[in-house]
Amino acid sequence: MRVRFKLNGEPVEVDVEPNELLINVLRERFGLTGTKYACGIGECGACTVLLDGEPVLSCLTLAADVDGHEVVTVEGLAKSGELTPVQRAFIEEGAVQCGYCIPGFVIMAESLLRENPEPTEAEIRDYIRGNLCRCTGYVNIVKAVKRASKYFKLAPPGS
Amino acid sequence: MGVTSRFRFIGKRVPRRDGVLKVTGAAKFAYDIEIPGMLYGRIFKSPYAHAIVDRIDKSEAERLGAVVITYEDVPKVLFNTRLVSVDEATYKDWEVLTKHPKYVGEPIAAVAARSEEVAQRALEALRVEFKEVFKPVLDPFEAMDPAAPKIHRKIVLANRWVDVVNNVGATLEYSEGDVDKAFRDADVVIERRFKTNRRYHLQLEPKVAVCKPEVGGSITVWTTTQSLHNTRILISQVFGIPMSKVNVVKTFLGGAFGSSIHTNLVTLIAVALCLKARRPVKIALTREDDILHDHVSYQMHFRIKAGARRDGRLVAGEFENVMDIGAHQIQAYPLLGTALGWFVSLYKWGSIRYVGKAVYTNKVPTCAFRGYGNPQVTWAVETVIDEVAEELNMDPLDFRLKNYRGLGDIFWGQGPTVKTVIKSDGVPELMRKGAELIGWYRRPKPWEQRGRFRRGIGLARGFHTSGAGGPISGEVIDYTGAILKVNEDGSIDYVTALQDHGGGTLDAHVKIIAEELGVPPEKINVVWSDTFTTVYDVCTHASRGVYVGGEGARRAAAKVKERILEYASRLLPKVVNPEALKMEYDEELDDVVIYVEGMPGEKVTLSEVARTAWQRNWGSISASVSYRATAAPPSFTVYFVEVEVDTETGIVRPVKVVAGADLGTVINPDLAAGQIHGGFAQGWSMAVLEDVVYDPESGEPLNKGLITDYKVPMAPDLPALDNFTVIFASTYEPTGPFGAKGIGEAAANPVAAAVANAIANALGIRFYELPITPEKVLEAIKERRG
Repeated sequence: MRVRFKLNGEPVEVDVEPNELLINVLRERFGLTGTKYACGIGECGACTVLLDGEPVLSCLTLAADVDGHEVVTVEGLAKSGELTPVQRAFIEEGAVQCGYCIPGFVIMAESLLRENPEPTEAEIRDYIRGNLCRCTGYVNIVKAVKRASKYFKLAPPGS
Repeated sequence: MGVTSRFRFIGKRVPRRDGVLKVTGAAKFAYDIEIPGMLYGRIFKSPYAHAIVDRIDKSEAERLGAVVITYEDVPKVLFNTRLVSVDEATYKDWEVLTKHPKYVGEPIAAVAARSEEVAQRALEALRVEFKEVFKPVLDPFEAMDPAAPKIHRKIVLANRWVDVVNNVGATLEYSEGDVDKAFRDADVVIERRFKTNRRYHLQLEPKVAVCKPEVGGSITVWTTTQSLHNTRILISQVFGIPMSKVNVVKTFLGGAFGSSIHTNLVTLIAVALCLKARRPVKIALTREDDILHDHVSYQMHFRIKAGARRDGRLVAGEFENVMDIGAHQIQAYPLLGTALGWFVSLYKWGSIRYVGKAVYTNKVPTCAFRGYGNPQVTWAVETVIDEVAEELNMDPLDFRLKNYRGLGDIFWGQGPTVKTVIKSDGVPELMRKGAELIGWYRRPKPWEQRGRFRRGIGLARGFHTSGAGGPISGEVIDYTGAILKVNEDGSIDYVTALQDHGGGTLDAHVKIIAEELGVPPEKINVVWSDTFTTVYDVCTHASRGVYVGGEGARRAAAKVKERILEYASRLLPKVVNPEALKMEYDEELDDVVIYVEGMPGEKVTLSEVARTAWQRNWGSISASVSYRATAAPPSFTVYFVEVEVDTETGIVRPVKVVAGADLGTVINPDLAAGQIHGGFAQGWSMAVLEDVVYDPESGEPLNKGLITDYKVPMAPDLPALDNFTVIFASTYEPTGPFGAKGIGEAAANPVAAAVANAIANALGIRFYELPITPEKVLEAIKERRG
């Protein structure tokens, strides 16, 4: 079936099987391998993307369901090479180790700060509770979200 | 941190080089490699824990267009997937595909097809008939019963067959002094049995391999590995392809923690499929495949007996170590020696006696998991040490300081064949500061607590070696290689096979090179490399990345520096000896200035030197270094952990952590702290959460690959930022690059012990089996109430 949607700001069209998952379409048809497979059953958050601005697990989302909607992957966040405050903060706080889970965390942090620009530490931890990281113990990730929140305060997105 | 302040680049926070690639999704992991026209592979895994295949009908699978291989299509050789030990110390019992599967999940056949869907249908179309199905042997003590089914009859050591008796794959015994007399003379003797858990690495990237045939019979391989060169050598050995025709290319690695020191079986299966299909083949394991594939931690059963005198001195230690290694050996034999090394090097036991056995069971094969047996040994020893101290009525901290192996003592963390003297030791400093920060002397007495929630503070101390080098060759291969080039504009290319798992190892190397040459880190390019273009590095394991790899890089830089100064002196005719020249970065010029101290006129820049060497045909400024460390010094860690136990649910919560680390000079402070944060999370999880549980009848893992079934900590489960303090000791390791030692494993080793000691402090109850689950806590509380 034909699916038309907006992907990282660009209108796209693709033929998909009715049972085809969004993660596979993003990775294999569009070469957007920043969206990671790690569990395939919605338990680790590594494949999180934004669907109409809301975080969804692309391994549990049918590609057919994004017809007429807007999808943003980790590749679509930095505009013309400029990192977002979240991406900058992740690097500055040393929140990145192996990096495999990081796209999912970056997407979640973007989403959190749009909903709640000044989250408390407990709110941050609660928001990312579905994202698994095996390297960092989440310490520098939580610090990075806090730092990004300061950047957001200085220059809200879209300003 | 006075020690590091004399450095220009070392110890400074610099954003990691691969950060941008990783936060934008551009970093390519092996899982992300796609080759046009490639086939997708799937593996037929044994549904039985121990069986013999009768026949395989592959006709239907082939009718679907799939390429099919079985045990009949792969080389008939036994090998060990790990090549870190010398051949004479390598036990070989693996096959690429087997007719005789020995654990649920062991590969029997594989298919490759133009899409994953067709491959999966072909896999399901394979008709595999089993001749015999045996009752699985799941317990190592039952396995040693002469009546138990034999898992292996014969295996290969180096190049000769050896018989396996009673499923014991390897043994090691060792003793020093008169142990029996020492125990008789001891005033306090504590003897305990321990059982550790079987932990799945749960690295985020499942194991994956892509193999591409090249013109002329070469192959190119991308895979999840901690060692590019050992992967290449093993492929060459198993398939009989010259190494010059096997190229293993570096990719980002989505976590490993020891699970890819060995070449994962998927790599060899992908090569076999590729050779048969003559097309590129990718096998990407699913999470469910991965947990059954070829890696979990060593599950160890200990008996430890410790004897001490009234004056607080340890006089005797006895250590029995039965390791449940699963169905194949990866590094089981060397671990028998290393586990003893961990035991011996923790404390000055006086006399010691050791028996170690590696026992086969019909379970997923075990391998290193961040610490290579050290977290297990440290948990048991640090429990016993606490109990001896209590018995002696001594503060556990004082007892440790009195008995641990520290500055000037003999250290043999890597086993009895390699002994060195400890030259840097931050333990006293870390103990003192940590005790202050956690409130050690105000910790509660278990018997004074009432109410539902009980708090406790635990202390544990540990270490890990920095690499597996040493003054003599021994049984372990450990050396590294580095190539450094000064380009024609003065910028630098650094070429190494050494893998950075994400800890920032290569960032550390860059700073070390920068420090040696005065060239700022941003002018040093780390070349994305492969086995064709690098010299040998054994593996990123044993916390050797910075200590061994970094020193290799420093030596390459020192060689390059000699040549730079020699060339510079040609441009400074007044200088008679190049050694008079110094190199320093000049921010205004944005170049390295080569000058004579006190003579401002006598100078030239690095870019001028590089350009002149090119234009006047002096030749390239480059160096290739192969480096073997002469020591493997311990990095010490001291953990103070406060926990809260809910006596109604049995749930233990971490309240506060003070983690002290002696890693010598700290090269990347935020990334070094990151190792400690991650080390705590994994150690915490080892203490209270993780275990792969097997069905006692079928031998099938019950929590196979589903993360909700196999719990690990998520962000809300760990202490708040303000309650997690990391302190670094101000030490300098004279044998390390600019004073540095390793940290990756030391960061995790004593954590489970500190947590267990904290629980004991809260409840007055000790646990001798990991993980300390809520069920066990509740049961123990109930039992005590009687």
